[in-house]
Amino acid sequence: MANLRTYTLIYILLVALATGKFVFFEFNFAYATAIGGTIVLAVTKILLIAGYYQHLIEEPRAISYMMATAVFMVFLLVIAAGYSIQ
Amino acid sequence: MSDLPPMTSVKRWLVTTNHKDVGILYITTALFFLLLGGAMALLFRVQLWEPGGLGILEPVQFNQAVSTHGLLMVFWFLSPIASGFANYLVPLQIGAKDLAFPRLNALSYWFYLFSGILFVLSFFQGQTYAGGWTLYAPLNVPMYTPAMDATAGNNAAILALTLFVMSITIGSVNFLTTIHRSRAEGLGLWNMPMFTWSWLLTVWMMLFAFAALLAALLLLSIDRLFLTEYFMTDQGSSLLWAHLFWFFGHPEVYIVFFPALGIMFETFQTFTGRRLVGRKWVIIAMVLVAVQSFLVWMHHMFLTTINLEIKTLYMATTIGISLPFDLMVFSLIYTMVKGRVRFTTPFLFSLGALVLFILGGITGVFLGAVVLDYEFRGTYWVVAHFHYVMVSGVTALVAGLYYWWPKITGKMYSEALGKLNFAVYFIGFNMLYFPMFLAWETPRRVFHYGESAQIYHQIATVGAFVLGLSFLIMFFTFAKSWISGPKAPDNPWEYSRTAEWAIPSPPPLENWDGRPSYASGRLEFVDDSPAATDGGVAHGQGNTAEASVEHEAEHADHASIWPFGIGVGMFVFFLGLSGLTPFVANFAEGTAEPPEGLVGFETQPDIMYPVLIALGMAIMGITLFQFGREKFDAPVMNIAERWPFGGIGNTKFGIWVFLASDVIVFGAAIGAYIFMRLHMGWMDWEFDPITMAGLVNTYILLTSSFTVIIALVMAERKNKSGLLGAMGATVLLALAFMGVKAFEYTQKMGDGHYWWYSIEYSIYYVTTGLHALHVILGVLVALFMIYRIISIDAYLEDHRPVEFFGLYWHFVDIVWVLLFPLFYLM
Repeated sequence: MANLRTYTLIYILLVALATGKFVFFEFNFAYATAIGGTIVLAVTKILLIAGYYQHLIEEPRAISYMMATAVFMVFLLVIAAGYSIQ
Repeated sequence: MSDLPPMTSVKRWLVTTNHKDVGILYITTALFFLLLGGAMALLFRVQLWEPGGLGILEPVQFNQAVSTHGLLMVFWFLSPIASGFANYLVPLQIGAKDLAFPRLNALSYWFYLFSGILFVLSFFQGQTYAGGWTLYAPLNVPMYTPAMDATAGNNAAILALTLFVMSITIGSVNFLTTIHRSRAEGLGLWNMPMFTWSWLLTVWMMLFAFAALLAALLLLSIDRLFLTEYFMTDQGSSLLWAHLFWFFGHPEVYIVFFPALGIMFETFQTFTGRRLVGRKWVIIAMVLVAVQSFLVWMHHMFLTTINLEIKTLYMATTIGISLPFDLMVFSLIYTMVKGRVRFTTPFLFSLGALVLFILGGITGVFLGAVVLDYEFRGTYWVVAHFHYVMVSGVTALVAGLYYWWPKITGKMYSEALGKLNFAVYFIGFNMLYFPMFLAWETPRRVFHYGESAQIYHQIATVGAFVLGLSFLIMFFTFAKSWISGPKAPDNPWEYSRTAEWAIPSPPPLENWDGRPSYASGRLEFVDDSPAATDGGVAHGQGNTAEASVEHEAEHADHASIWPFGIGVGMFVFFLGLSGLTPFVANFAEGTAEPPEGLVGFETQPDIMYPVLIALGMAIMGITLFQFGREKFDAPVMNIAERWPFGGIGNTKFGIWVFLASDVIVFGAAIGAYIFMRLHMGWMDWEFDPITMAGLVNTYILLTSSFTVIIALVMAERKNKSGLLGAMGATVLLALAFMGVKAFEYTQKMGDGHYWWYSIEYSIYYVTTGLHALHVILGVLVALFMIYRIISIDAYLEDHRPVEFFGLYWHFVDIVWVLLFPLFYLM
């Protein structure tokens, strides 16, 4: 497992990324840009938390595949359902 | 508690956690619900004797009988009886001593039983649910159908189903952990028995599919209890329900059918004396079906307003899913051709199941084609088709009952009676369901039909009673065997191949004398005692490190009363919730912004229900606390095949599996938001967030994730005060988070924006509320852990529980990472 220093650095990074999302919408970015940027920041945050705080990078790869499958299922449901009413 | 009372004692069945006992409980309970569901079917079949109904049921009673028949059979009979077989047999087939989490196994049974009792009680609380087993919106809410008044009975039926799904989720986590991590040495996945293979794929499908249903039911329950508007809007609600329900509903077909298929594979092998032809390809075909099952759900929505492109795509995927089934059917037929068939009762039922399934499968292809579906949808063609599929599964499950009866009871049954049972069953089945194809123009769910179809309906009604009679013969056969049947040998079937037949009938409590091993290529029982180990016993690959961590319990426990207690608590709590609606409706009417056009919520408040809620919470609090404190040693396998999930402990793996299911629950709830917003028009969404509150809570929750990780570091360093401080800080931060949330909600309500104000506010309150509920549950666990640290210096020697708690807490944080932009920024 990582040491306290690494955990602290990740925490600082997470706070910065959270602030970044806020900044996208508080300053004059185009709506599409703000959404795109926020999605990138959110995904980065999720990967950091899952990878380092939940130690997913140290677990057997199959665990990551299982979680990725669950996320894929959500995307499948949401994208297909969303497309069905376009 | 560790001593298990004898099987003749009632106490035994309340405290047991042994997989075989739980299996018997599942099977007997499921058979009870089969009788209840069957009685409902006989009632409405009599009503259907003549067009317009015979008059034995009022229209709303007919609707209740039809709805509860479907719900009971699909949920409370089909999956649980398969779960009973799996409980009893899967650990035996893979060489395990028990399931990975025996107490959770008992808990999932009690949730199942109490959900069924709650469902039965719903008949006596005004009226039970009458909107069809698919619970289509808006029929599932009272808004547009006053007959569906939010009586306690209607609510109780929905809540019972919710509790049932919780039982399924717990069971899925348990079986996945067991099958992936407790296989005997040398038992690779490819070599697992076919029933275990079918069950493994079933529970994988259950994990993802039932999570979507759980989300849908949570939203529906909240609509009914708290007056939110998910399924009450005039735009988008019915499509939202259909997507969520059928994302679950189509995999459910295979969830129901796969265990039956597994029984067919086992019995065909045993009674033809031949290994399944193309065994490896059959496994691949099953895996393909399990994957494809999540890609076909919109063929249930061809008559909705979804676009033609997606209908066409789903028509193609639907036709595609029939191909792997063709392979399986041909494999079974060819196994018969290559083998020498012995027409025993289990084989006859399995063969019957195959014939019926072929008919059911072929008639289903019609419904997969968009154009034909326009004609057939909503008619008795659909009813006939899915009964040929689902009840062919029942046919195979009856085969399983006969096949494993000698193993479970230690008694043989009368073959003559068994064959009579099959003959009556097969005739009754076809008399009941085949005429429905001929009367296909009859509309579903009503008792009015054309005169020309009357003869077919009358034949079907007679067939229903013949089919019912066949089950009486089955019960008589088993009762006679139980009372006076000859003793069954270890293996009454000459060519059975799986491990359960290598031990006595019935098997002993601990299953095996030695450790089962397939390392030599055949089943052996290895003596792992120190004297024997001195000579060098073969060890499973890559498991030495785990063996040192997970020391084998010298004495495994098989009894705990707390799962039963938690089940009682949940039952009382859910029963209380069922009568909450009138109180919420009264509160809503008294606010500055009461809901407009509230219809179907006129039931009067009854103080009994809030009392039950409080009582249920108290019981749960006490029993969960005792459950957490109880020392319980589950059997652990030091040497086992664990691919692809080696290198991780059972509990941690179980938590990850649970989180995978929770991803779907939250994903579906968040998906509901995205879907409804897309349906409305993304920029037309009218919601005014308090952005700063969201940002502050983001910082708070991120910081709490950091304190949890510090707690883990402190536990690793055996620093008690540091561990206490970090856990305490986590609780305080969580409370601060809830405080900000309370401020936010208060502000919103002060502006008149209650959860019934609009669909935007319904979704905001429910989604963030679901997250807040996770935070509250996390706080309760954290407080319990603090109590354990203070009282017994817990987690300093073994820090893994802190890590397990962290997995959950970080997940809650991750969900907020998504909720913040979705609800406060976009």
